[in-house]
Amino acid sequence: MAKKNDKTTFGTLAVAMFWLVILSGILLAVPFNVESPYLSVSTMIVANPWAALIRNYHYWSSQFFLVFSLIHLYDHFHYKEKIGLKKGLAFRLSIGVLIIFLAMITGFLLKGDSDSEQARQILQTLAERVPLIGVSLAFSLLGHPESYQLIYVHHIATFTVFIAVIMIEHSRRKYWPPVLDFVISAIGVLAFSYLFSAPLHDNLNPAVKGPWYFVGFQEILHWLSHPAWSLLLFLLLLILLYLVNSAQGKTMFLSKRSLLIFTAFYLVLTIIGLFFRGERWQWKNPWQENYRYEVLNNFKSPIVKLTPEFDLGTAIASPVIQGRKESCLACHSETHGLTDSHSPEAIGCVSCHGGNPFATGKNQSHNNMILIPGNLATAPQSCGTTQCHPEIVERVPTGLMATLSGMISVDRFVFNEQDNPDELANVHHLGNSAADEHLRNLCVRCHLGNPKTEYGPVNESSRGGGCLACHLNYSPEAEAALAMVRDTIINAHPSISLAISNNHCFGCHSRSGRISTSYEGWHETTLEAKQMPANDNNYRLIEGERVFVKKQQDVHHELGMECIDCHHSYEVMGDGTLYAHQEDQADVQCIDCHFYGNARTIKAENLDNESAIIAALRLGNISGKEFLVTGKRKHALVNTFVENDTAFLQTKNSKTKMALTRPAEVCTRSNAHSDLACSSCHSSWVPTCIGCHNEYDPNEPSYNMVANKEQTGGWVEFFGEYEAKLPSLGMRTEGEKSEVIPVAPGMILTIDKSAYTDDADNSTIFHRLYAPVAPHTTTKEGRDCKSCHNSSLAIGYGEGKLEYEIADGKGKWTFSPLYQRDVNDGLPADAWIDFLQTRTGKVATRSNVSPLSVKQQQAILTVGACLTCHDDDSKIMQATLNNFEEQLQKRSSTCILPEWK
Amino acid sequence: MKVAAVGFISFFAFIWNKLTLQHIATSGAEEVSVPLNMNKEVQFFDKYIIVNSNHQTKVFSSHCSHLGCKIDKMESGKLVCPCHGSEYDLQGQVIKGPAYKNLTTLDSSVSDDGKSITIKA
Repeated sequence: MAKKNDKTTFGTLAVAMFWLVILSGILLAVPFNVESPYLSVSTMIVANPWAALIRNYHYWSSQFFLVFSLIHLYDHFHYKEKIGLKKGLAFRLSIGVLIIFLAMITGFLLKGDSDSEQARQILQTLAERVPLIGVSLAFSLLGHPESYQLIYVHHIATFTVFIAVIMIEHSRRKYWPPVLDFVISAIGVLAFSYLFSAPLHDNLNPAVKGPWYFVGFQEILHWLSHPAWSLLLFLLLLILLYLVNSAQGKTMFLSKRSLLIFTAFYLVLTIIGLFFRGERWQWKNPWQENYRYEVLNNFKSPIVKLTPEFDLGTAIASPVIQGRKESCLACHSETHGLTDSHSPEAIGCVSCHGGNPFATGKNQSHNNMILIPGNLATAPQSCGTTQCHPEIVERVPTGLMATLSGMISVDRFVFNEQDNPDELANVHHLGNSAADEHLRNLCVRCHLGNPKTEYGPVNESSRGGGCLACHLNYSPEAEAALAMVRDTIINAHPSISLAISNNHCFGCHSRSGRISTSYEGWHETTLEAKQMPANDNNYRLIEGERVFVKKQQDVHHELGMECIDCHHSYEVMGDGTLYAHQEDQADVQCIDCHFYGNARTIKAENLDNESAIIAALRLGNISGKEFLVTGKRKHALVNTFVENDTAFLQTKNSKTKMALTRPAEVCTRSNAHSDLACSSCHSSWVPTCIGCHNEYDPNEPSYNMVANKEQTGGWVEFFGEYEAKLPSLGMRTEGEKSEVIPVAPGMILTIDKSAYTDDADNSTIFHRLYAPVAPHTTTKEGRDCKSCHNSSLAIGYGEGKLEYEIADGKGKWTFSPLYQRDVNDGLPADAWIDFLQTRTGKVATRSNVSPLSVKQQQAILTVGACLTCHDDDSKIMQATLNNFEEQLQKRSSTCILPEWK
Repeated sequence: MKVAAVGFISFFAFIWNKLTLQHIATSGAEEVSVPLNMNKEVQFFDKYIIVNSNHQTKVFSSHCSHLGCKIDKMESGKLVCPCHGSEYDLQGQVIKGPAYKNLTTLDSSVSDDGKSITIKA
């Protein structure tokens, strides 16, 4: 009999586990602090390995208690015989199962992490929806929302005592498990507890889940708009359980089968909840991006190190980070170099670098760590977590620096793969067309999503890097630390801050439109590095063996202004809207600072939060300040302000304060030039390129800029002539509004696709497209009248001899181009249009940009004819600015106007 | 015996319900004052979501109307519940379920200097 009683069953194992839960719970009560559960649990893990072991022991013994209890139930269910308990006992047993789950869930709540907090809310809401007694029930179960006191009391006393009583009654007053069961259980749980830590959420990962035994229920709740109905499910299960234990015959059998079917169904739901649900309970397949981060986060289960790989004293003294201890700071206690808002004391290490803050060994702590946080692929897990900058990280991928929409769309347009250069595109959606391969080989390295993969400061060679592209700065100490040997703890950390210099922009923006180099007054030549004159300050060698020659710098650069002094955060990081081209995303216009009339301002208290934070970080106390706002999208320019009716700009990095000047009278006094963009006149030069040829070479060693790998076969570019010239003029038409804008020969080129498409008959493309430009070579003085009215370059004919001749009392303009006419279209090589002609159709890299019409050319040249005799600043020419027609009427007989036939 | 047991349990439940409800009542209607950042369109403040839009400040309970989970995140201009993905607009209206009720709007008053807001929970 004794032998029979000592037979090991899942019931006896459950009893063994129950005792282990009790014993470990008594020990766990010593380090556990019910007033700050999350901090006390994380402190145990980080600074008290024995307590961590006991916590694990308590966790695993309770999980096994639940599992063994359920299997013990199942043991009865899969037999057809009746169990035949008395009704009272069956009732109490059914309630006991409910209480076991309540004991389990209250233990889960006592972690105090974000999983627990949300589970507590769900439990409270469900309890409150029990009819009649819901409010009392919820409060009695969970207590005051700010306190864990009642939950703790119920966990250690109410539920535990109830379970003990039911178990004793159920096992016919057997208090103790068989010795062997107890010993084996104790040793087994100890092994588990040592190898696998009990879970604790880092409160950063956005995915929240209940305990494993309730994720199936969480899945059911997700289907229900009226989750109170789920309470009936609990009731039904309790009734079935009661019937299984007490009923007979068909009722008993159906109850057993129903419970079995439910169990199988619930297992499937549990697997779905555990392995296929991520953030916001969205379906997540294992092969999807961030699966590991979102779904497997709860499975971080490091081994317990009873002698951690750090000094426990340092761990104890380490700061509390957002309510928790992080083991990282036990080793990296001397880390410095970060700004206050990003210092380890403020946000710890895990906020940016991920890893496991509750592991106490290097390898486990660093597992799945983000070595270089800030790359866009991982930014939502670091810079973009809820407590940090989620709204910015969400919109950066929509910005042009991340999508490269304009670059891609224009390239496809030039390759005749799409009819419109203004379609939205994204670098992450490139296909296999000739244009897309061309982009991959030659163009798309400069997007923010291109990951930074090596430590080091941002320099001319840098491309992409997400947030780091702009916000990373290395101090000399941090840079020197890069040379330290591997596995040495580096204390000098680079900073992440608003100190964004021109150097951050330079790597990408010294190419293509070359606004960074133009702004500083450097023009790219076709010289090779070895051809560069030695010791000549007029030349500069830039990354990629490119030789630049000195030209006139932008007046803003001359004044010490940097890129970010004009460009605000919503321009640079995107404003959440997808734009096709740079000029669409750009918000700041010259007139926002150089305004006439009253300043357009916004008070500090009305700033959006991002602008307010940036303004406060840059200017200090902003209370009472008024900032200028942009005319286009009404964003604040946070380094400008109005004091005593004068508008000022303070440079963001050097803090130089300067009064903002108003536009010259000539710009505003009449409507003669009212439809000219400021940059049409105030740009000293723009880089131009003509005669470019592209062809695909299947044998050429090449590079895939999306995959970042070498390949054989790629597009090769043979560039033509680089020149720095005054920009030409074109028209941008948006709805009813037309504006004269600076343009430059952007794509006068040929493309040979034959080797790529294997279609020799239809393989060569020729285009003569001009592009709108933002020269970034601003001058204080505008260009003189003749530079437009008497310039073939400005009007679009290209360089050459444009002369006004008067013969036989008749005036006539003539033009001799400098360049030969191209065989493809008969126009001079650098021209946009032929003399006194215009073009339509595929003429520019934007659908809303076109050359000057013949009528506009004639109007310009008519003034040009006057300028052949009258100086720019002559009284008569100044008068023409007020009323040109009136001056024409007054002209003398010696004034001969041009004829156009 | 059974009658006595039912009577005892009923009496116990009655007393328990009374004392709990009375205790909740003595805890008082909560009125809290929290710092207000008028520059921030949406502020998550534990149990509250403060929304500033169109020169108006509104306070919503941060508890999702589905199961009470705390909403602590805005994505694409929407308030998103972390537990089951219910979404609300900045007026607290449900955009996407499983929730079907709007967020609870709480009475509130902004201080004269605009730097704090008193919320009646």
